Amino acid sequence: MAEHEEKFGLDHGGAPPGGYDPNGDGRLQASFVEQWRTNAYGCFSSGHKFCREVCPVMQVTRNENHTPTAFHANIVAMDKGLVDVADVADDYVHCTQCGACELRCPNTLFTGDFYRHRTRTVDVVKAMRALMVATGNEREHWKLWNERLAERHNEPVLGDVPVSQEHVADWAEGLDIPVGGETILFVDCEAAFYRTSYARAFAQLLQKAGVEFGLMREQWCCGGPAAEMGYVDLARRHADHNVADWRAVGAKRIIAPDPHDYIAFTEDYPRYYGDDYEFEIVLGVELVNDLVTDGRIQLTQAVDRVVTYHDPCRLNKRKGVHAAPRELLRAVPGLTFKDVDHVTQWSYCSGGGGGLPVEKPEITEEISRRRVARAQELEVDTLVSACPWSERPLSAAGAAAAEPLDVVDLFELVARSAGIEVGGHTHAAQEARS
Amino acid sequence: MSVAFKSAVDDSVVDELRAIIPDEGRVLPNLSSRVNRTRVPAPFPVHRWAEFMPDVAVLPTSAEEVSEVVKLANRLQIPVVPRAGGTGLSDGAVPLRGGILVDVKLMNEIHEIDLVDRTVTVGPGINMLKLNEELKRHGVFYPDDPASYPCSLVGGRIGTGGWSLIGSRFGHTRDNVISMQVVLPTGEIVEIAEGGGRKLRKSSTGLTLKHLFTGHQGTLGITTEATLDLVPRPEVEFAAFFAFDDYMKAYETTGVLAKSGLATLAGVVLFDEWKIAYLRRDDEAYIPQPASVKAVVAVAMYGSRVEVEPASKRVMQLGRSLGGKYLGDEISAGDWASRHDRYATPLHGRDKDGQAVMMSWHCEDAALNYSVLPQVREEWHAIVARYRERYGIFDDWGMFAYTNGAFKPWADYLVEIDVGIWESRLDDENWAGWVACKREISEVTLKYGGSITACHGATREGDAELVPAEMGSSWEVVKRIKRALDPNNIMNPGKQSLDEAYASGNGSAP
Repeated sequence: MAEHEEKFGLDHGGAPPGGYDPNGDGRLQASFVEQWRTNAYGCFSSGHKFCREVCPVMQVTRNENHTPTAFHANIVAMDKGLVDVADVADDYVHCTQCGACELRCPNTLFTGDFYRHRTRTVDVVKAMRALMVATGNEREHWKLWNERLAERHNEPVLGDVPVSQEHVADWAEGLDIPVGGETILFVDCEAAFYRTSYARAFAQLLQKAGVEFGLMREQWCCGGPAAEMGYVDLARRHADHNVADWRAVGAKRIIAPDPHDYIAFTEDYPRYYGDDYEFEIVLGVELVNDLVTDGRIQLTQAVDRVVTYHDPCRLNKRKGVHAAPRELLRAVPGLTFKDVDHVTQWSYCSGGGGGLPVEKPEITEEISRRRVARAQELEVDTLVSACPWSERPLSAAGAAAAEPLDVVDLFELVARSAGIEVGGHTHAAQEARS
Repeated sequence: MSVAFKSAVDDSVVDELRAIIPDEGRVLPNLSSRVNRTRVPAPFPVHRWAEFMPDVAVLPTSAEEVSEVVKLANRLQIPVVPRAGGTGLSDGAVPLRGGILVDVKLMNEIHEIDLVDRTVTVGPGINMLKLNEELKRHGVFYPDDPASYPCSLVGGRIGTGGWSLIGSRFGHTRDNVISMQVVLPTGEIVEIAEGGGRKLRKSSTGLTLKHLFTGHQGTLGITTEATLDLVPRPEVEFAAFFAFDDYMKAYETTGVLAKSGLATLAGVVLFDEWKIAYLRRDDEAYIPQPASVKAVVAVAMYGSRVEVEPASKRVMQLGRSLGGKYLGDEISAGDWASRHDRYATPLHGRDKDGQAVMMSWHCEDAALNYSVLPQVREEWHAIVARYRERYGIFDDWGMFAYTNGAFKPWADYLVEIDVGIWESRLDDENWAGWVACKREISEVTLKYGGSITACHGATREGDAELVPAEMGSSWEVVKRIKRALDPNNIMNPGKQSLDEAYASGNGSAP
């Protein structure tokens, strides 16, 4: 049989001879299986597959290997000695970590609380990617991306945008934001270097409301994307740096306008530091909504647009935040808001998360194209999102559509209604200049 | 790692497949693609996983590609296994002899919506929920509503001869498929309908081939396109749940409701005491009822307001007429709304000592007449209790009986006993025990004049060997048809005892 197999050269994804583990003893894989066996069987035994049609990647590729069912079944197959990490590594690239599958899982929906059992596909995918890195099964583009991150400490934002520490606060030019203080504004790399209008809009809304805040002395990437791609040590180094920087200026609370940072600060960091993590993490969209509700930001300028709202996955599906952005939109005068409920949007995504655009840009592009097409069915002129990571692929899809659709960030829209001249750019600086 | 090919698939076959499907991502001989197209949600001998793997999976996007793949397989006598959602509760999509797995998920287009003649034409890879999302804006829907509604695909529904939770009102899969395009085991692409018309629901011209190609479990061909019925979206949905302190009172009430003649009746379900006990295992899956509740009857109706509202009053009267206690609007509406999600969760598994263990779900289904339901219930529970005691890896999750006749719900029922199986404990001995348990359940069905499956299919060990007995004198006809259409026994071989159609009886060509 082995001879037969060898003859026909089955694709094993580059597994080294003798197994997946360069050290040859399979310890890492065995310990991974040990850690995730119960979760894997929870899915394997259920077998409902209700997760499949809400999965944004599966909707595009229709490949059963790219389903949460496969992500768990592979672990059972590992447990049974049927596959090694090299055999299944490519499957786990196909995930935006949006969390829709977890919400749709009958185990979670009906009995999870009672048994203290939760379907944790996102964590499973992250853990498998970490195993891929640890066992030499890295993906080419993720490897390169993380090498650049290690060198520059900010995300090498997709494409050729120049990224460096000297320029991490360029977005704030002219806004007179101090460094340090009890409240720190953490600006995501994508916003700091690419969609600077997002960061400027948010900062100026806070200034308008009289909120005191400062920037970090030296802001590194939050480390979340590295963790999502399986580069756990690199992620941790960035977290360590940021926490040290916060402590050095006596920070007590961190404002995270970007949903991806919010996930890193409320899920990854507490996992790293346990009780030794004293910061209050404030979500940008909830803060701005509170400021508008309290009358500290007045929305006086009519915005004459017909919009629908894209629920960013990390707000809606991962954190259950869907009310505040809608309240904000409804507070903008002149706006016509055609809403699609947040549960329907469990199956929507931009494709911008979980490293997918780095490794599989064509899938991201197709996910965004479909999202924009859905918005256009509502006959709107603007798609409003609340996450800069989603806004790049959505903007590209909006621009490429037969009838172009404008993609605007929620903070940008609210800032306009508050009479703020936002400034900055919605695309890379060189694109904006050209 | 490597797992050997079981059939005659080799590098040259893979090359030929790549010539037919010139896209690297759609011809998949790699191990992971094979591993993940092996099982379905039905209990699986996980300790023998590799035995059930296909040798290569292909993801065609057109009937022509399917046709060329099947012609290749037929020429080289390589098994072909069609797979749509892979969500079946029997083994239809599980390869028994390796071969080429034809995964139709990419064929999920909506080709045409015809609001004049009320049809929608789709690829076999589309999911009903997704289809209905698109149809909603037109005020119509496709009423095939299985428990797997959020994930199963039209092609699998046709292959399985699926059953719908609202079938008493709207019919089951075969009633809602008007015509289809099928690739035969010899590779020809044919149009199959009642007669000749693609959009006609009734014809007397020739043999009604549509039924032959519905429910064959992938043994007669691969559906590559289907024209489906479009039904006006119902204005009103009504559900009522009644509790009983005695199974026989609930059974009689079920009969009264099913025979009521109300045209909007979509289904009547009778849950027995074991099922109630299973649902009571936590306080979220079902609002706990007092211990005096021994059975529950659920009724659902769909239609226009002018029909359903007066009919619902009659249902309330009939439901209470033999001592039934209405469980209230919240349970009725809520439980009906969650009908796809609720009735089997692995976390509710219990070992012999009552400890919670994760178990997978097997529904042993049968079609049975109303008159025999109480006796079958007793005998089935007794069988499961015996095996539970002996093997310690099974758990009785209760039974239900559900009106089974399309449009005519009065006399026959889909009956299921749900059995939890501690899958991670499976070994050869336990698996053999499970198969024996299944066979005993099916033998009881046959003893009472039933059919061993109403909807899942008789492809599994424990069922498959009883197919000839159930078919009786028509078994010869079945074998002749199979042999005529699939001369080399390449189409999903090893299922339903159809190897008997061939001289050698083991799947090789006659």
